[in-house]
Amino acid sequence: MIWWMWLTAVLVALLLLAGAILGTQARRRGGGAIVVRRGRRGGRGGMR
Amino acid sequence: MSTLMLVADLTKRPVVTLGGEAVAQIKDTVFDAAGGQITGFTLAGRGLLSGPLKQSLPWSGVHALGPDAVMIPAVEVLQARDAVVDKGEAGSGQVRGARVLSDAGLELGTVLDAVVEGGTSGRVAGFHVATTEAMGRHERRAFLPAHGRLAMTGDTLVIPARLAERAVDDLAAADLRKGTER
Repeated sequence: MIWWMWLTAVLVALLLLAGAILGTQARRRGGGAIVVRRGRRGGRGGMR
Repeated sequence: MSTLMLVADLTKRPVVTLGGEAVAQIKDTVFDAAGGQITGFTLAGRGLLSGPLKQSLPWSGVHALGPDAVMIPAVEVLQARDAVVDKGEAGSGQVRGARVLSDAGLELGTVLDAVVEGGTSGRVAGFHVATTEAMGRHERRAFLPAHGRLAMTGDTLVIPARLAERAVDDLAAADLRKGTER
């Protein structure tokens, strides 16, 4: 392969890697609602 | 002033100190089934590459749960993640997807999300559910009021049959605040 083909392949690989990392981190930052069966530290009411 | 909000809308909401510093964003909202009350939040970092944090925000450290940010007095109120929820509970206690049963044993639907009261209340006011034929509204979405103490695990939410009759389609029209008073 000529040099620019190697360069293109490396750039594509880097873009795919960056996309995978960003996607994974975005998914890890996502959340939802979790129910626990007992009261934990924190108790009722907000700090006034 | 308190407003009703979906837990899904809380996710990614910034956690800001009264000094104006955004220190984290909300990841999970954790609530106690026995009290029907938010007990705290797990947190994620604010940056593009950041993931979940090892710190959490207990409800006692919340100054106000607002429509655009969760306000805290200072960063010192953040605690270790286990103070709010441990790994086992986080894995088994996911509310989304839990089935809704009436106390008469009728399957009413599936939980899509929880509705909480903002401000300084933090009360779980109700649930957004995908209904079944049993509610005469197959595969429609409705809001059900909560009633204080919740009979709930990660798998199943049990509600009094009378509450199913008070389901409404629109959160703005929902009279969920009165759910615990009757």
